[in-house]
Amino acid sequence: MRDILKLGLFLLLVAGVAGAGLSYVNSLASPLIAQQILQNKLDSFKEVYPQSDRVVNETATHLTPPYDPVIKEVNVAYRGEEPVGVIYAVETKGYSGPIALLAGFDIATARITTIKVLSQRETPGLGAKATESKFYDRYKDKGIDIALEVTKTPPLKENQVQAITASTITTKAVTKGVNAAREHFIAHFAAAKQP
Amino acid sequence: MNLQKEFTKGIVSDNPLFRLLLGMCPALAVTTSVNNGLGMGVAVTGVLLASNIVVSAMRKVIPSSVRIPAFIVIIATFVTITDMLMHAFTPALYTALGIFIPLIVVNCIILGRAESFASRNTMLPAIIDALGMGIGFTLALVMVSAVREVLGAGTFFGLQLLPENIPALIMILPPGGFIALGCILGLMNKFQRKTA
Repeated sequence: MRDILKLGLFLLLVAGVAGAGLSYVNSLASPLIAQQILQNKLDSFKEVYPQSDRVVNETATHLTPPYDPVIKEVNVAYRGEEPVGVIYAVETKGYSGPIALLAGFDIATARITTIKVLSQRETPGLGAKATESKFYDRYKDKGIDIALEVTKTPPLKENQVQAITASTITTKAVTKGVNAAREHFIAHFAAAKQP
Repeated sequence: MNLQKEFTKGIVSDNPLFRLLLGMCPALAVTTSVNNGLGMGVAVTGVLLASNIVVSAMRKVIPSSVRIPAFIVIIATFVTITDMLMHAFTPALYTALGIFIPLIVVNCIILGRAESFASRNTMLPAIIDALGMGIGFTLALVMVSAVREVLGAGTFFGLQLLPENIPALIMILPPGGFIALGCILGLMNKFQRKTA
């Protein structure tokens, strides 16, 4: 009995010291991590919609039910006081896990600016090519009149996006996310601008 | 005690990956690119070094009946610290290694060295042992991932070596891990038998 108590207390002591040490390191590292995540997000916003002064998260204002659950965030890019673009954070299901991406839309031209994949677990060498800028370019400057569709051949029409070789599911998942953002954009931002 | 021997044994004769066949899970999973393999190796070496030091320092205090849980707590602490530091300072590598950083806790190399070496030796040999084993593991990971990256993606450390259509994609898919590791192990066996 006494032995068990002694051993238990020993482990308690070890775990206590470890816990104290960890909380100390955490207190040092967590602001850095938070800043790192924020910086990463701001950099991504800049990549998706370069010509803005600031980006405001207006998810609460614009994402009202019923909405497509694929959309996670609605960020509005401002130049001065004028809203000029919308950056959507969407998350869809890819081939081997969730794909989180940003899709940028320009209000004046009503076009997709570009996209950026934030996180994915697709197959390296196949679906993971979705993180390359070569792939982003397939969405660049697309119009929003017709929903985007995935083709396996080089695109002939404005709304066609060529799939990554052997990774049609990944491409479809990304396209689904962009289309969800597109519908929300048409309903909330483009309609107001059209005569 | 021959310190030089303690150091080199981890790299050659007792290489954790090629000779002891420890740590196979990360070795198969993260070796899709040299960058990932190297990052994993360095992270494991760091944790191994820290845990070997602490285990060796505490070896007279830890009651033998609860040594394994005590080792696990010590290792888990250092892994969590590594995880936080990598998240804060090397975000790209952190994203690439993902779940395999927390899983360093159950990497049997670390527990194996704590149990079979650090808990029976003074601090200096324990440090040497950790460095030898860590460097051996890192070199092994780099070798496997170099084979896989060059054959599978046609790149080395991100530099394009082969034209884009030539690579055998299977080498960076999961089966490629087994194929590459198996072939390297086979070659090593042949080579080491001859010299023996």
